[in-house]
Amino acid sequence: MRPFYAALKYAVMTAIAVVSIVPIVWMIAGSLRPYQELFKYATSLNVRLFVPVEPTLANYREVIWDDRNPFLRYIGNTLIVAVSVTALVLVVNSMAAFAFAKLRFKGKPIVFALFMSAMIIPAEVTLVPNYLLMHDFGWLNSYTALIVPSALSVFGIFLLRQFFAEIPGEILEAARIDGASVTRVFASIVLPAAVPAMITLGLMTFLGNWDSYLWPLIVLNDDKKQMIQVAIASFSSLEGTDWSKILAASTISTAPILALFLFLQRYYIQGITMSGVKG
Amino acid sequence: MEQTQLSRAAATELPRGKGMGAALRREQAAAWWFVLPALAVLLVFVFYPMIQAFVISFQNDSLLGGSRSFVGLDNYKNLLRDAQFLGSLKHSFHFAIVVIPVQSAIALGLALLIQKQARLTGLFRTAYFIPVVVSTAVAATVFKLIYNKEFGILNNALKALHLPTTNFLSNPDTAMYGIILLGIWKGAGFFMIIFLAGLNNIPQDLYEASRVDGANRIQQFFRITLPLLNRTTAFVVIITTIDAIKLSGLVFVLTNGGPNGSTETVVYFIWKTSFQQMQMGYGTAAAFILFAIVLVISLVQMKLFNREADY
Repeated sequence: MRPFYAALKYAVMTAIAVVSIVPIVWMIAGSLRPYQELFKYATSLNVRLFVPVEPTLANYREVIWDDRNPFLRYIGNTLIVAVSVTALVLVVNSMAAFAFAKLRFKGKPIVFALFMSAMIIPAEVTLVPNYLLMHDFGWLNSYTALIVPSALSVFGIFLLRQFFAEIPGEILEAARIDGASVTRVFASIVLPAAVPAMITLGLMTFLGNWDSYLWPLIVLNDDKKQMIQVAIASFSSLEGTDWSKILAASTISTAPILALFLFLQRYYIQGITMSGVKG
Repeated sequence: MEQTQLSRAAATELPRGKGMGAALRREQAAAWWFVLPALAVLLVFVFYPMIQAFVISFQNDSLLGGSRSFVGLDNYKNLLRDAQFLGSLKHSFHFAIVVIPVQSAIALGLALLIQKQARLTGLFRTAYFIPVVVSTAVAATVFKLIYNKEFGILNNALKALHLPTTNFLSNPDTAMYGIILLGIWKGAGFFMIIFLAGLNNIPQDLYEASRVDGANRIQQFFRITLPLLNRTTAFVVIITTIDAIKLSGLVFVLTNGGPNGSTETVVYFIWKTSFQQMQMGYGTAAAFILFAIVLVISLVQMKLFNREADY
C-alpha cells in the first residue's frame, strides 16, 4: 500500500502544480502566436493549445514600438514608482524600527501602539480624504501622489523591529561609549546586520507596488503616466481587443517580477512566515 | 516590550552620573528624529484622512471645491435603504463565505503535501506559489480568456470530461464563482506558506509518541495537528476574511462589476460612488460602514479563536 499512496500523493501534487502554472504557460504561448491562431486551436485539448504553430515575435514588436499603446513606457513608469517607493520605505521604516528596537525615549509604548493601530485602518476607507489631500497639495496626476503616501509600512516596522531586537545591545553600547553617534551605530552596525530583513521588506514592497491598481487609477488621469496594471486592465476591457498583444504586454510585465521572485524566493517566503508570527 | 526591558537593563549596567543624563537626552532626541519621518506619514496620510473621512461621511460632498453641507446621518440612513449598496455587501459576503473555508482548506492541504522534505518538494512549493506573484491585472486578464465560452481552456477541459460548458462571466448567477475561482487560484499559495510555518512549529515527538500509542494518521491530524495549529489558523482566517471583504482588484479587471451589477463588491461600490458619480460624502459613509464591519468581524473572530485556545 505504501508505494501506492506515495504515487497518489505525487499525482495530486503534479495535478495542482499544473493548475497553478497552466494559465502562465498559456499566456506566454499566446504572446508568441499571431492573433488568428490564438483561438484557432482552442476548440479541443491538444498540444497545439500550448505550442504555437507559427511562432512570431510580432506581438512584442508591436507592443514595444506602438505609439498608441506604449506598454513599454507603462512598464518604465511602474518601475520608476516601484523603485522609488521601495527605497523610501526601506529608509523611513528601518529608521523607525531602529528607534523602537534599540533607543530609549519617553512615550515609546504609546507611539508604537499608535503605529500598530494603523494596521486596522483599511486604505479603502481613506480613499476620498487622501484624494482630496492630493488635490490640496497639487499632487494629482503626479508620481509624488503615488510615492510619498506609500512611504509608511507598518508591517515593515514590525518586521525590522523584530530583526533589530536580536542584535545584542552590548555591541551598540560599546560603540556608543567609543564615541559613535546614534546615526553611525545605525548605519554601520545595525543596518549591515539586517540585510536579509531589508531584502525581504524591499521585495514585498516592490511586488506590492508593481501590483497597485486602485490608487493609480484614482490619482493619475494622464494616460501617458499610467501604471502597467491599469493599462493592461483598460486595454483588456476594450471590445475587439487584440488579445495576443495584451498577452505579450502581460508577459513583459510579468517576466521581471517572476525573475525577481525566483532568485529571491527565500527572502520573500521568510517575510510571509514572519508575518504569520504576529497572529 | 522585551526590547524596552533589554535596553533598560543595559542602561542600569552603565555607570550613572552627569554624563549619563546628557547621553540619555541625546539618545531621546535622536530617537525622535528617527521616528519622525514615519510618524509624519502616519499622521498626514493615515490618521488625518481617517478623521476627515469621518467628517465627510456626514456631509453632502458632491464635487471638488463644490458646496459642502452637513446632512447629519442622512448618508448612513440612505445607505441602509440603498439596494445597490446592500447588494454590494451581499456580493462581498458571498465571496468571503465561500473563499474563507475553501481557500484555507486548500492552503492547509498544500502545506501538508509539501511539508515533508522529499524529492521535488521545493519545486512544487515554487509552482504553488507562482500565482501569488503574478499581478492582479495580468491574472484577471488571462482568466478572462480562460473563461471564454468558445475558446477558453476551462470549457475545453469541461468538454473533454463530458461536463456541460458555461460562460461563467456573462451569467449573473455564476459570475461571482468565476471571481471566486480566480481568487482562490491566486491566494491559496500565500496562506500555504503561513500554514507551513505553523506545521513546522509542531514538535515532531508528539507524532512519534502518539504513533506508539497506536494513533493513525487521521487521528493525529485531528488530535495533534489541528489543535496545535489553532493560532496559525486564526491568523489565516482573520486575514483572509479582511482581504475577502475588501475585494476589488479582481472585480475591476475580470467583470467590472457586471453582468448586471452581480459582482459589484463594497469597495467597487465605494469607488463608483465616490469617483464616478462624485458623491464623495455618500461613498465615504459606505467606506465607514465597511470599516465597522471589518473591525467587528475581526474582533469576534479573535474572541472565538481565543476561547478555543483556552479549551
